[in-house]
Amino acid sequence: MRRLILILVPYLWLLALFLVPFLIVVKISLSDVALARPPYFPQLDLSGGWAAIRDFVAELDFENFAFLASDDLYWKAYLSSLRIALISTLLTLLIGFPVAYGMASARPEWRPTLMMLVILPFWTSFLIRVYSWMGILSQNGLLNTFLLWTGVISEPLTIMNTEIAVYIGIVYTYLPFMILPIYATLEKLDGSLLEAAEDLGCSRTSAFWLVTVPLSKPGIIAGCFLVFIPAIGEFVIPSLLGGSDTLMIGKVLWEEFFNNRDWPVASAVAVVLLAILIIPIVLFQRNEQKNREAGQ
Amino acid sequence: MPQTVFAPWEDPDEKPLIRFQNVTKKFGDFTAIQSIDLDIYTREFFALLGPSGCGKTTLMRMLAGFETPTTGKILLGGEDIAATPPNKRPVNMMFQSYALFPHLSVWENVAFGLKREGREKDEIATRVADMMRLTRLDKFARRKPHQLSGGQRQRVALARSLAKAPKLLLLDEPLGALDKKLREETQFELMDIQEKTGTTFVIVTHDQEEAMTVASRVAVMDEGQLVQVATPDRIYEYPNSVYVADFIGDVNIIEGAASQSGDKVLVTWAEGASPLVATSTAMLTKDQHCYLAIRPEKITITAEEPETTNKVHGEIIDIGYLGNISTYHVKLPTGHMVKAQSTNTRRLSRRNFTWEDKVWLSWSDTAAVLLER
Amino acid sequence: MKRSILGLTAATLALGAAAAQAEEVHVYNWSDYIDESLLEKFEAETGIELIYDVFDSNELLETKMLAGGSGYDVVVPTGTFLQRQIMAGAFQPLDKSKLPNIENMWDVIQDRTDVYDPGGEYSINYMWGTTGIGVNTDKVAEVLGEDVAQNSLSLIFDPANAEKLSECGIYMLDAPTETVPAALTYAGWDNPDDKSEEALDKAEEVLTAISPYITKFHSSEYINALANGDICVAFGWSGDVLIARDRAAEADNGVNVEYYIPSEGALMWFDQMAIPVDAPNPDAAHQFLNFIMDAENMAAASNYVYYANGNEASQEFLNEDVIGDGAIYPDEETLDNLYTVTPFGPKEQRLLTRLWTRVKSGT
Repeated sequence: MRRLILILVPYLWLLALFLVPFLIVVKISLSDVALARPPYFPQLDLSGGWAAIRDFVAELDFENFAFLASDDLYWKAYLSSLRIALISTLLTLLIGFPVAYGMASARPEWRPTLMMLVILPFWTSFLIRVYSWMGILSQNGLLNTFLLWTGVISEPLTIMNTEIAVYIGIVYTYLPFMILPIYATLEKLDGSLLEAAEDLGCSRTSAFWLVTVPLSKPGIIAGCFLVFIPAIGEFVIPSLLGGSDTLMIGKVLWEEFFNNRDWPVASAVAVVLLAILIIPIVLFQRNEQKNREAGQ
Repeated sequence: MPQTVFAPWEDPDEKPLIRFQNVTKKFGDFTAIQSIDLDIYTREFFALLGPSGCGKTTLMRMLAGFETPTTGKILLGGEDIAATPPNKRPVNMMFQSYALFPHLSVWENVAFGLKREGREKDEIATRVADMMRLTRLDKFARRKPHQLSGGQRQRVALARSLAKAPKLLLLDEPLGALDKKLREETQFELMDIQEKTGTTFVIVTHDQEEAMTVASRVAVMDEGQLVQVATPDRIYEYPNSVYVADFIGDVNIIEGAASQSGDKVLVTWAEGASPLVATSTAMLTKDQHCYLAIRPEKITITAEEPETTNKVHGEIIDIGYLGNISTYHVKLPTGHMVKAQSTNTRRLSRRNFTWEDKVWLSWSDTAAVLLER
Repeated sequence: MKRSILGLTAATLALGAAAAQAEEVHVYNWSDYIDESLLEKFEAETGIELIYDVFDSNELLETKMLAGGSGYDVVVPTGTFLQRQIMAGAFQPLDKSKLPNIENMWDVIQDRTDVYDPGGEYSINYMWGTTGIGVNTDKVAEVLGEDVAQNSLSLIFDPANAEKLSECGIYMLDAPTETVPAALTYAGWDNPDDKSEEALDKAEEVLTAISPYITKFHSSEYINALANGDICVAFGWSGDVLIARDRAAEADNGVNVEYYIPSEGALMWFDQMAIPVDAPNPDAAHQFLNFIMDAENMAAASNYVYYANGNEASQEFLNEDVIGDGAIYPDEETLDNLYTVTPFGPKEQRLLTRLWTRVKSGT
């Protein structure tokens, strides 16, 4: 009984906080937009009994999904989001790995402090941190002022409102999610493995590629997913730091919802986004599963 | 037994494979190795024995190239290898933790070093197969290390370190992680493999039994220095110090003052007790402080007073029953505790002595070793 | 025993008092859109606790209205949004018997807001204004010469001008419902409220031509940008530009900002106060509307935010720099030249959103 309850808890959690809301979104995505409150049709009226439910179901259709497929805006936005998410994940990895490596190589008594420094930005609101980047990157912001002062550049750089600013924002925001899992694997890495590799003929560099990198793979994969999955649906960073030409699905979804008031199409966009994300999420789960098995 | 015929260290013309010349290693203020001179010869099975922190691992890591001497030289085949990085030395190491690559299969682990040398595929396959056969791992080639038992992992580590046919194989506590029975089996396997491959082995261990079993010579270390380097039987029978005598096997140490009488030495060891006799080649000054080391198995235990010079009388305080032998702890009136062993040729019920029995302990003149320090 | 009953009564009384004090009215208005001393005045006069919350986009408000259960008693949508939300059934009809001050309202504005809310059944006008051009007069004169007509839409919508002005900066409202009618007006289209595909194509053509020269599409940052002299032109809302003008004057930074109602005609918009159909306290909401329609209160609000209001009786209490400013209270002739627009239907809205995305992204 106790065991049953323990198993039930996470499932109920999933049911109440993911599955039910998701089914509501699916239901709306199958509806039609209407000038009403709430702005879609049909509405489910359970007091009408079985017949009402049947009528309700009969009204649902996949029109909105057909519409998404027919309009290249959505595909462009999905692809552009994928591209931006992939590039930012790669950049985050390129910065995050050396940081994690440095942390793991540091003297043990230093590590908690370094870990703290990585986590510290979370103590400030995410929005405030993104806003401060606006201050840093803008035309007469800190960065340009500094670069002009040092004489590196003679004209202020245009970074704010470009895709570069979006990358900076995403990399900055999600860096800890990359560093921490990689650090966790690197910290566990047995130093004698590297010595063994050297002993067997590896140089320091090849030992890094043949031993350190493969063994930190679980951390790298976990970090990449933790960055990629939220980055693909990111809305705040592109709307605050990005230019008007930064096309991302999060922004398109926002426009469908707020500008077009088309909740059904907005829901369809969300459902498709989830379907796209499910592939990496399932891969991620399998990776985790594999690690757990290997760890036993 | 190879030990009896194989003794290159006694041949002055023989060139050592490894030579430590006045090697000192310091970590900051701490001196791990204090001016050591040591020769190790080709095909030797050389054991570095000592408690943890005695510097034996540092000595080995200097051979592997993970540490460099602070002063002094290490010669391998006559050449100074101080500047050679680990990956360029004809030396391989088997790590205490085995350090198997968890992401690679057994086969890939064994082939790892060969691949780094850029050898032909076929050549690698043949060599790996040989190593697997040698270590009886044929069936496990595709397994990952976490799918193996402790003993199997140990064999993978051995196969991997042997694959490149190193001139010198270093083994860092190779059997430490195995249970006693498996350890004993593996000791003989190691000796067998060493003989078959003709590789020079240097083993680091804190287990004196292990060192005695496998090694052609044993170096007993303490606090960064070599206390004694000799064959196992010499180390046991003729320890050069109380430290060695005490470290290797069980021993009774009796302190006293020496007085020479021919090739016999009389040792006055307690008020009112008759002096004990030992043979020694060392020349001791009159009343020099010295120690007598007597192995328990060399002491005879009797109820009647024996007819020998070396005899003491006491009471049995404790009996350690080990199956094949029993150890009797006998308290002398002087307060000394002396251990004596006797073989249990009879059944327990018919054993001669029991607790609180008064017994005589005796030993021959040659049984005790006289030590100056 | 007696004592404890007394104690109980006292507690009950205290509870009752707390309940009376707890009467609340939730107002959801645009940010920086009221003289905050009015809020305290309302609480002092009525004893109702006023919870004042702000938003900065019609879309946000609309989503809350359409979703329902917002918890607000008074909200302030713009006319076009109001109309659509009325159709969706988001508001309750006003009980005019509770609004004696409604006689203060100005029929000129009432006539125009009838398009959105016929007969003012659901709403009263709070503020109204125009969408026009904010100009850094000295800089524009420097770039385009002294003779250029700064009060013409061509200042921004003529690509030749826009290209030259782009070096000192142009901001444009990030609101297609404002910019598309302006683009049509500039192009000489008969009806700036035309939502046909041809009209939208024309507007897109005009907007795409100048899009590369627009520094930024944003609906509020231009206030600071104009005031600091970072940009030389902004297409924005009257009151916001006037705030920029005053800030520049206060800072005494040598920046002179002017607001022009475009000579070709300008969009006139109305922010209307209405009561959501599910307002928790409609009674208090009516009291708040009545309070706002008081001539002196309304004048105080306009004097503070530099927007014209739809309250005729308030005009005698307005400061001279408000009532006397043609940019806030345009003269009869200019007023005739102002137009109003109607809401976009779902299909048209989608076309408009797409058009705007294309214009902004230059694709």
